[in-house]
Amino acid sequence: MSEQETIGELLVKRGISRRALLKYAGYLASVMALPPTSSTAMAQALANARRQSVIWLSFQECTGCTESLTRSFSPTIEDMIFDLISLDYHETLQAVSGYAAEEARMQAMKENKGKYVVVVDGSVSTKDGGVYSANAGKTNLETLQETAKDALALISVGTCAAFGGIPHAKPNPTGAVPVSDIITDKPIINIPGCPPIAEAIAGTVAYLVTFGKIPELDHLGRPKAFFGDTIHDRCYRRPFYDKGLFAKSFDDEGARNGWCLYEVGCKGPVTYNACATLKWNGGVSFPIQSGHGCLGCSEPDFWDRGGFYKPLSSWTGGNAAIIGGAAAAGAVVGAASALLARRRKASASGEKGS
Amino acid sequence: MTADGATPTLYDISTGMAMSLMQEIAERLGILAEGGEPHAIDLLGIPMSKRDRDELEAMLGRGEVEVTLDVAGASRLWETQYSGVWWIRHFGEGERVASERIEIVPVPEILSAHRLDMAAAARRLSDELAQANEPIPQEESAHV
Repeated sequence: MSEQETIGELLVKRGISRRALLKYAGYLASVMALPPTSSTAMAQALANARRQSVIWLSFQECTGCTESLTRSFSPTIEDMIFDLISLDYHETLQAVSGYAAEEARMQAMKENKGKYVVVVDGSVSTKDGGVYSANAGKTNLETLQETAKDALALISVGTCAAFGGIPHAKPNPTGAVPVSDIITDKPIINIPGCPPIAEAIAGTVAYLVTFGKIPELDHLGRPKAFFGDTIHDRCYRRPFYDKGLFAKSFDDEGARNGWCLYEVGCKGPVTYNACATLKWNGGVSFPIQSGHGCLGCSEPDFWDRGGFYKPLSSWTGGNAAIIGGAAAAGAVVGAASALLARRRKASASGEKGS
Repeated sequence: MTADGATPTLYDISTGMAMSLMQEIAERLGILAEGGEPHAIDLLGIPMSKRDRDELEAMLGRGEVEVTLDVAGASRLWETQYSGVWWIRHFGEGERVASERIEIVPVPEILSAHRLDMAAAARRLSDELAQANEPIPQEESAHV
């Protein structure tokens, strides 16, 4: 397939109508919280764009991030992302192996010098020269440095690549670090999550292709479109928080009635991600809807932050007044519209997370 | 507990969001009717309970047009009882709603055929006609 071919030409060739592209653009505008009226211009821009060359590097990871992106295989709008990119190297998905695989990576780097995007999932081992994670005779550290050199930008997919994640958790035996500790001279977009939401990965790549630029990022390098609000801000259980109705333990009356999980350790109030709106497994549910508090997996060092079942109030110094204050300050009618008004951007957040 | 002593349960709350959206729709429809710009409201970006959504759908009701699209999954569109106010629901994988919006517009753009699609269709149609009109080669027709 010609790299010079536009996405519009490719779709016509495949018999995919502009209606499909318009539908996809509307879907992207929705998941990226862009103005709904922008979808026509987005469809036009996508049609005129060339497919983005992507080199995907997997380091100290569990492949959950790739699983997240590839969950959808039926011919629906969710998979149209694969029409927008040319996935030139991906160890798990590519058919070739060995020297041929590495040759494909080198060729993509040469042909698209300065224009390709490197997606990394997994953290980078640095201890003892990075010997704890290697493939094709090279440490991950070397592969990253070599591949990133001529890249347009990098996307750190998953909490391991973005913040070090579980390999970075104490005692961090491999000296695992995030991509941003190694590569400092290229734009890096962080899409954390364990794993990240598929729409956040696809939407960010689609934004790059559509607009030819990096989306607006927060102070931790995360696209604000997906990480601009806390889970709590968009949680359907938020009205219970505002009314002071909390589950006190799992399977008590409050838990059965679907009340707020704040007191059983939900990290939703300090976790920026889009789980509450985009949800998981094809929109079926998300942890809080399934009755468990948010673990805060898209925040740095979530594994070492003092216990998944401890309320944030105890975690931040045992100040029970936080809970009491929340209960008293809530109880407003029209909570959802108030919730919208409170929509916060990450820049307004006090918590750094690490 | 609610004022009447009942325990609120999941999705059971009417937050007043439907009425807020009706106000926005009314204002935008007025603007469109006077020759102004179309408008769209992304319903998935708004935290609404199931009851809020049902209320909005009931308030807007159904009008004269209902369309089903079969393009990258199914879509259902209908004009509400208010002319120029359309409900557009796109399904993704399975039966999940991938995007849902209210469009305030004379005709939703997705219903119009795009110029390039028409050009491709015209080429295809003319190729098919040319093929149908091709004379049968002599050597093949000889042993019919």
